[in-house]
Amino acid sequence: MTIREKGYHHWDGQFLERRHPWWPITRLGIRLTFKRKFFKFIFSSSLLPAVVFLAGIYISERLEDFRGMARIESLLLNISAKYFGAYLTADFLLFMAVIILVFCAAGLVADDLKHNTLQLYFARPLRKRDYLLGKASVVFFFLFLLTLVPGLLLVIFKLIFSGSFRLLRENPWLPLAVLAYSVLFTLFLTAYALLLSSLSRNGRAVSLLIFGVYLFSDMLFNILYGIFHSPYLGLLSMRTNLKLLAVPLFGLKPPLGLPWGYSAGLLAAVVALAAVVLVKKVKGVSVIR
Amino acid sequence: MKAAIQTDKLSKWYGNILGLSEVSLEVRPGITGLLGPNGAGKSTLMKILTGQLRPSLGRALIWGEKIWNNFRLFNRIGYCPEHDSFYEQTTGWQFLTGLLRLFPFSPAEAAGRAERALATVELLSDKDRLIRGYSRGMRQRLKVAQALAHDPDLLILDEPLNGLDPLGKRRIIRLIKDLKNDNKTVLLSSHVLPEVEALTRDIILIHQGKILASGDIHELRDLIDSHPHIIALRCDRPRELAARLVREPFILKVQLGGQPDSLIVETDNRDRFFSLLPELVMDMGLAVDEITSPDDNLQAVFDYLVGK
Repeated sequence: MTIREKGYHHWDGQFLERRHPWWPITRLGIRLTFKRKFFKFIFSSSLLPAVVFLAGIYISERLEDFRGMARIESLLLNISAKYFGAYLTADFLLFMAVIILVFCAAGLVADDLKHNTLQLYFARPLRKRDYLLGKASVVFFFLFLLTLVPGLLLVIFKLIFSGSFRLLRENPWLPLAVLAYSVLFTLFLTAYALLLSSLSRNGRAVSLLIFGVYLFSDMLFNILYGIFHSPYLGLLSMRTNLKLLAVPLFGLKPPLGLPWGYSAGLLAAVVALAAVVLVKKVKGVSVIR
Repeated sequence: MKAAIQTDKLSKWYGNILGLSEVSLEVRPGITGLLGPNGAGKSTLMKILTGQLRPSLGRALIWGEKIWNNFRLFNRIGYCPEHDSFYEQTTGWQFLTGLLRLFPFSPAEAAGRAERALATVELLSDKDRLIRGYSRGMRQRLKVAQALAHDPDLLILDEPLNGLDPLGKRRIIRLIKDLKNDNKTVLLSSHVLPEVEALTRDIILIHQGKILASGDIHELRDLIDSHPHIIALRCDRPRELAARLVREPFILKVQLGGQPDSLIVETDNRDRFFSLLPELVMDMGLAVDEITSPDDNLQAVFDYLVGK
């Protein structure tokens, strides 16, 4: 009996849907990132500032035991909201975040474009937004481990070492500020990295772009600032813009006296641009004309 | 019987290039071969059917449901793309389980399904090797495995036999034939006619984005019989055989070939030629070394159909 004679039995089942379809993409991305050469060493190194700042908190609470260091007390050991802002806006932290992007984010979309994997993803019950969320979550994972987790742990350790809630009484919004800055910092860098990753099929070229744009934006600012001395040239620098975001959250002194709103607008525009480009570039097939 | 796939005046163009032009077809359960030379529009049609391309005009339905942006539909569809789509740095096992986890399967169920699919394509012993170390045939089998692993009701296989050695081809052909027995719908593309012929009699011929013919393969053969067939022979006495053959009304042309022992015959009735040939061989005591049909390929069929 052939199939034609059997007839087609109409399927009456229900389409099942995975609750978090983006999660397998994230998990695979994290796993592949940890497989990269030197990544574990680089990632461990990026947590160094957190250890230093943790030591600072410890020392501030044990001044009696560290009298010899009392001379730098006012500089290092005055633990306030600014202290946590200083950790999150440290140049070294941003540098390491960019290095981590090079490892974990450069190939996220570029490799899928190179290996034509998108067609397999989108031939499955997966929406474009699930795919993008899955990819973005890989970067969220690593950058939150660099910002949010140490930031909140520093607050907790401060409370533990001091044995009082004075820090929170004086700065009740501090945990929220740490959360907000970590989210904004991560969101911008994720959008920045995925945008560049979607522009090429070559993961190495994207790595160079991620690091190059970060470095070049700062160099350009320094050169032009040296010539024109206009503080608004600070908007060219990714580092300065990210520092400005922290100004209202941690009560920091704005670099170059720039209003933070300009940087917030600029970074939001980059995120919006990244969203538009990603939605356009991420599709199951690339059409060769 | 309800068609699994229906398209109605489906058209797709890329800028000025026409990919598909008013394609209306129905694909019913069983195996259907989608045939056409490279660039005919097979892959475009398959990409529309797998929701990766949006039609420019017309309608494409699977089980009566629209395809574009209907991501739940893909729970029941398996797709084997023409080109490799792998993360080279993962193992076959990681690749397959990773894709299976996109379906609503638990980790244990995904692992079980991955194991079964790899066993089906005989890759289980190589499951822990990196894909970058796989041969072309292994990659092709892995692609087939990922299309089958979630037990879909509709399989869309784009050139599934490409790059396989003869043994591998036989395995996959057997596997696809088994799917027919499970009441699945299989649409597979190929530009190699004999491969499709080994799988199914239901064929859709596509060329330059248009459907040239569709239906049972024997109807298609009849259509081919309306044009002369070229048959090349190698025997010990080609001139004598040529002299005998020209007497037959269904022999249109006989030409002595470039080699001293070769003969090229054109006939409008291949069946009658092949029933006569054994008689002649016996009567004349000929020693025939080789019989080939140089125009027995899809490109030649298309050339006839498009009137070249």
